[in-house]
Amino acid sequence: MNHSRYADLFRTESREHLAEIDAALLALEQRANDPVAIASQVASLFRSTHTIKGMAGAMGYVAVERLSHALETVLDAVRRNTRALDADALELLFDGSDALRHTLDATDVDGGGTITRAVQALLDRLDALSDTMTDDAHPQNAQHVARAASSVANANSAIRGDIFCDARMTDARQVDARAANAAAATPDAPPDRVVEIRLTADCQLKGVRALIVLARLQTLGTVRSMTPAQPLWQLEQFDGILGIVLQSTHTDTDIETAVRSAGDVARVSVRAVEPLVPSKASGAVARTIRMDLSRLDTLLDLVGELVITRDRLLRATDAAVEGGADRMLTRVAHETARLVSALQEEVLQVRMVPVGQVFDRFPRQVRDIARELGKDVQFTCEGRDVELDRSLLDAIGEPIVHLLRNALDHGIEDAAAREQAGKPSTGQLVLRAGRDRSSVVIQVEDDGRGIDRDAIRTRAQLQGIIDAKAGALTDDELLHILAHPGFSTASTVTSISGRGVGVDVVMTRVRALGGTLELETAHGEGSAFTIRLPVTLAIIRALLVRVDAAAYAIPAAHVIEVLEYRPGTIVTSVAGARLPWRDELLPIVRLRERFGLPFSGDETFVAVVESAGRRSALFVDALLSQHDIVVKPLDIARGSLPLFNGATVLGDGTPSLIVDVGSLC
Amino acid sequence: MSRTVLICDDAIFMRTMVGDILQQAGFEIVGEAETGVQAVEKYKLLRPDLVTMDIVMPDMGGIDAVREITKHDPSARVLMCSAMGQQALVVEAIQAGAKDFVVKPFQPSRVLEAVSRVLAA
Repeated sequence: MNHSRYADLFRTESREHLAEIDAALLALEQRANDPVAIASQVASLFRSTHTIKGMAGAMGYVAVERLSHALETVLDAVRRNTRALDADALELLFDGSDALRHTLDATDVDGGGTITRAVQALLDRLDALSDTMTDDAHPQNAQHVARAASSVANANSAIRGDIFCDARMTDARQVDARAANAAAATPDAPPDRVVEIRLTADCQLKGVRALIVLARLQTLGTVRSMTPAQPLWQLEQFDGILGIVLQSTHTDTDIETAVRSAGDVARVSVRAVEPLVPSKASGAVARTIRMDLSRLDTLLDLVGELVITRDRLLRATDAAVEGGADRMLTRVAHETARLVSALQEEVLQVRMVPVGQVFDRFPRQVRDIARELGKDVQFTCEGRDVELDRSLLDAIGEPIVHLLRNALDHGIEDAAAREQAGKPSTGQLVLRAGRDRSSVVIQVEDDGRGIDRDAIRTRAQLQGIIDAKAGALTDDELLHILAHPGFSTASTVTSISGRGVGVDVVMTRVRALGGTLELETAHGEGSAFTIRLPVTLAIIRALLVRVDAAAYAIPAAHVIEVLEYRPGTIVTSVAGARLPWRDELLPIVRLRERFGLPFSGDETFVAVVESAGRRSALFVDALLSQHDIVVKPLDIARGSLPLFNGATVLGDGTPSLIVDVGSLC
Repeated sequence: MSRTVLICDDAIFMRTMVGDILQQAGFEIVGEAETGVQAVEKYKLLRPDLVTMDIVMPDMGGIDAVREITKHDPSARVLMCSAMGQQALVVEAIQAGAKDFVVKPFQPSRVLEAVSRVLAA
């Protein structure tokens, strides 16, 4: 047996199960009174521990095996109603999951054979619990769960409820949905259908239209999930493409008619949901493979070079054909280019993973932090299925934790303060992900105390970060002050502001990933931080410009317009030199000056760029071309000017730096 | 018998315009209201087949009026008339019970399409 390969598989898979265990425990804690949800979560917990036990046994990881076995015994008793799932038992299961994680991590070091004193203590507690349970059957509980199957239908009608609550699909409701999923496996449950809807291009207020579509569907059955999640419909950028999973007894035609009756619907398709996990019992073969991420990275690197070579080939071909070469050459070159593009698309697709892979660890972290801080918080995750490039997803976890921690620590007030402010004592913290054209939007929203603009302004004025005469701050200005590396994060400010710590860290990281950070806040009502990321950062379209002798790449997503500079059009206002453009006066950024080069009078072109709603006029010496470029991450020494956030190699083999537009706007 | 309509808008201009569009399509305008309060009162009195409702009106806005009307008659058919950029308010109106919406400036064809959807639902 190839031990190290199996060890890798074991680690990957058991961690996935641990994440499921955490999610199920949290769901159990939140819905302590719902027998249907309890039955479904306990079943899931049992399955996960059982699987880990089986794998650990095969690997010879004694500690992991013993622990998962002890947990499984307790869960089995709960499952068979011979043991009540009270707070003590739940706490023990939480501890057990932690210990399981530690022993799993330790398998790298100790081969999984060591039963530490802590693990032994926990094993004793679990065993003690198991010993007390046989005579201690809880008839009431048993009755509940026996009725569970029949009450699934009731649970469903409970979900149906108010469409707008329903639509938000809180964690709790997803638990209900999962319970309903179990029901879907039984033959008499209404089948799930995927309804895909495209609104007409000229549809007005697409978000509202989507809401009407949703309301029509809800007359036919239960809406189980939606992509994008409903809050994203409200955004201007919502493109009118919806996916809804509907549980309904109606025919596909009925469903389609209902959708069309909502108006402004260009296309509808209705199809049955394919089972997510092929059942092993039915003998179906899982059509997936596990793959080492580094292989995928190598593959992407190769495709990246191929993309560059494609561009060179096309240029060389054009030159050759102009020089009289056979037109056949053009055909072959273009066909090759098409294939390379298709290959690039596929490889990027393979790298996409659902954000749930990272999100699923947050409920547990939020729970722990909230407990530590003594805050009563309900945490909701939305849009777990939204996909993001693997490398981006790995890098974005930490900033999200930062924002969640901030919201818990400084945003959401303690229960007493909330009640005093006339709010429900339980704070709401929402993490949501959604697609928005070519970007992925991740939002952390709380209903806490918000940020005190005036306090921040006063402090920023004292520190000379903003003008002493500055008036009320916009959300955007507020964010820029908070993200200012020099802005004081003294505790007094923090307690007044509710924010202040670490926003610069988040901003830096998000920018390094080619994304933007936005803030919306209302004093007393809460704050929302929105991270916008490119779907992939591996290959982007860029405008190449020349400054002095070198070529620089500006991500095309940020470029609004390029124009030739007409001398004498710059105006000077109180705020400094500005370039009139459309109805605006744009701040001027001379790349020569930023790069420490002498002024030469060569700056004859302007790229109008935008980031997070701010625009600037970038002065460059020349515009070169537009290209797909392969982004290579750039490690910038701390403290250096954050002008660049990556590098690339151009078609002719010369390296080029990628300008961080966010830092210039 | 032609279908009856109650038009609610604080601007005479808008009432006239909506009225013209609907009249030409064979509807009977049975009443007009300039405020939310009037809209609710007239609805109770006239029981029209359709209500067109402006969002921003003095003396109870359109959204509250929809809420009141729907409370009184859950089968009421209300079409919201919204301006650009009022997405959030229209959402609220739909939540309050309005059945559909049109966006100003009105295109007669869009208004009539929305009306027929509301009446068919």
